[in-house]
Amino acid sequence: MSARYGMVIDLDRCTGCGSCMVACGAENNVPALPQATARTGLTPMLVRRVSNGLDGNLRREAFIPILCMQCEHETPCVHVCPQQAVEVDKATGIVMQMPQRCLGCRYCMTACPYHARYFNWWDPAWPAGMEKSLNPGVASRMRGVVEKCNLCHGRLHGAQEKAAAAGKREVDLADYVPACVEACPTGAIRFGNLADQNDPVAQEIHSRNTFRLLEKIGTEPKIYYKSNQAWVRKMAEPIGESGSPVRATENSQRISEVQHV
Amino acid sequence: MKFSRRDLLVWGAGAAAGLAVTPVPWKLLDDTAKWSQNWGWIPQPARGPVEVKQSACTLCPNGCGVRVRMAGGWPVGVAGVATHPVTHGALCPLAFGAHQLNWHPERLKVVRHRGAVASWEDARSVFAKACGSGRVVVIDGYPGRAASQVLSNFAEKHGEYRVVRGAETRALAPFEEWTGVPAAALGYDLENARTVVSFGAPLLDGWGAPGRFTRLWAEKAAGQDDPQLRVIQIEPSLSRTATNAYQWISIRPGTESALASGIARVLLEEKLVTARGPMPELTLEYAASQTELKTDAIRELARTIAAQGPVVAIARDENPAVAALNVVLGAIGNRGGIVRRSSSATSQLIADASIGAARVVVLDSSVPWNFEPATDAEVFRFAAWNGGPTKSDWLLPAPGFLEELTDVPSAPTSGVETYGIAPALTKALHKTQSCAEFLASFDSSLDSAEKIVHGRCTELFRARRGTIQSHDAVAVAKIESEQKAEEQLTSGAVWIGEPASGGSIRCALKQWPAADASSPLELSGSWPAAVMPALATKLYQESGLRESGRNA
Repeated sequence: MSARYGMVIDLDRCTGCGSCMVACGAENNVPALPQATARTGLTPMLVRRVSNGLDGNLRREAFIPILCMQCEHETPCVHVCPQQAVEVDKATGIVMQMPQRCLGCRYCMTACPYHARYFNWWDPAWPAGMEKSLNPGVASRMRGVVEKCNLCHGRLHGAQEKAAAAGKREVDLADYVPACVEACPTGAIRFGNLADQNDPVAQEIHSRNTFRLLEKIGTEPKIYYKSNQAWVRKMAEPIGESGSPVRATENSQRISEVQHV
Repeated sequence: MKFSRRDLLVWGAGAAAGLAVTPVPWKLLDDTAKWSQNWGWIPQPARGPVEVKQSACTLCPNGCGVRVRMAGGWPVGVAGVATHPVTHGALCPLAFGAHQLNWHPERLKVVRHRGAVASWEDARSVFAKACGSGRVVVIDGYPGRAASQVLSNFAEKHGEYRVVRGAETRALAPFEEWTGVPAAALGYDLENARTVVSFGAPLLDGWGAPGRFTRLWAEKAAGQDDPQLRVIQIEPSLSRTATNAYQWISIRPGTESALASGIARVLLEEKLVTARGPMPELTLEYAASQTELKTDAIRELARTIAAQGPVVAIARDENPAVAALNVVLGAIGNRGGIVRRSSSATSQLIADASIGAARVVVLDSSVPWNFEPATDAEVFRFAAWNGGPTKSDWLLPAPGFLEELTDVPSAPTSGVETYGIAPALTKALHKTQSCAEFLASFDSSLDSAEKIVHGRCTELFRARRGTIQSHDAVAVAKIESEQKAEEQLTSGAVWIGEPASGGSIRCALKQWPAADASSPLELSGSWPAAVMPALATKLYQESGLRESGRNA
């Protein structure tokens, strides 16, 4: 039986500490290039700060970790890629990005409604000697290719090898935990197989107050969010005229402004 | 036969079409892509056997348990230890990039004397000469370690030992005077508290060991309308803790003492608490005018605080009024309050900016970079990273992350006593020496830190109390030999003392403390290292989530 890996992120538990971002960067050998900016840097996991737009004692903030949403249906990046460098893995449901095939046209970045794809503007580089601290399970990406969250495919390969060595066909989820999930100090990010109805994460996606970003556009993301706060849940809705799909992740300031238009 | 221009074009088109249906162009494209990703200047990860070792993070006094993935002898990844009794697998965000710190561009590689490159021999000869001609003050930022013992033993013979306390320990300082128990022996029994009133303490943002309070909050409070654990955050601006708190009370900056007095007055006047304490002299109206809250709001706040006990109040820094509020709330020495975790810790002389007449001042690498003693003495500062301009005369390169063996005493806010050992997992990249090694080399009668660590393990084993927590918890009394106990601790296990016993604290506070406490030193927060991991800086800059550290 093929798996459908996904997450439920409990936003009420997210304190915006950024552990997931740093752990993701370290796991995936993201270079710390001094010339990179908010527009040109690589942040496969990005925690956004949003507010309810009110002032004084009524103001509240929340933090939304944004990563590749692993769209299951009509995956926009897969459709536009002229190189077949993106595909939805039938065995896992993970939207895989293959830098070897990517020619760097960036159509997929434009097509992604979640702004979860990043372009390598420069060759990866680290301060002298720091390459010794790189994760040997993940190759560094070259200049000129697009990358995004692959749900820590290096860890998945390790778990697959372990399962194969034990003569099993399916991966044990105790062996496959993405870096951001492992790093979250409050257990806000939960990972599981959505195709397995016995998996607690698969059950949680049906619970009250669980939602997905831009659900109306029908891409069936496998990253779910959860919050008991109505104003946070409202963030997931498309903004703009008649439900047009506007990026919910554009920036926190914009979201908080538009929220109260 | 004549070969015309037309024939050439037809031949060329035919050849191109023919080639296109063969695998050659596609194979060439594929090979070119692979070749271009392996250019010589593309950094490649280290090769070698991958193994996982367990240790403790030594970058701040919380000593979180870390699982370090090593490849070819180098650390390539850091994660938390799920079985750690205090941190429960959590780490601060910076620890996830800590394995890259040893190659940070600001790593101190050579001895520097007033900015110029010097040698260890130069430093040693100047130190030896100065040491023989006057008083030496040794300053430690992470007391309680075996290395601290070396520093203290050296200072006892040649001058004075002082410590720089972090904000979390300073918040417990008033109790030292009222109870006679050293602040280093006190902690919070947060696991049993049901209401936590924070006066600006960043409880969900780097306060104490990262996995402790955030885990408690996530399990007992996050997203709940009527939580088991109520966090009441009193703070002028909306912080990460404030936005996630059960209640956020915004007050005028600097009026925490007035509000604590106002709350105590309501608690005592309305008999909302059973404990007894001195009545504050400040009136409720005065507290209201200072904080810019209404008197009714303070009354309501006091009732909310008293509604769900046990209650403990936590100050961001030293604040006698908040400490006195704990006395009124009956939190001293009681379950869910402020407890004594250790009977062995002693009071220590506190280092402040003015350290008196001295010939030499030695700063251990654990002293925060922004602590600058005001002195005419020759200042020797040990540091692994250069934190920027400094008044120190000598900068001496100290071992970096996981480059030296050190022990890890209890975290400053912990309610239970713990002890761990962080072994040296990686070889030193540069010619470095710790402050303890440096001082011990001048006095052959001093024991080395390694020998003291060994002695402490032997003591723990002979006392036959507490448990050692690795994958399972094993009572020390059931461990066969002291070598076995030391071996377990060196492989990342943690010794945990008996549960906190509060009854041994007697508090003698007769009068409400004066509103103005001595202004504490402005030292850096929970990350005392001079730099942040480059990866964390990059991600913070690019996400705008936090301010990033310098030079990283």
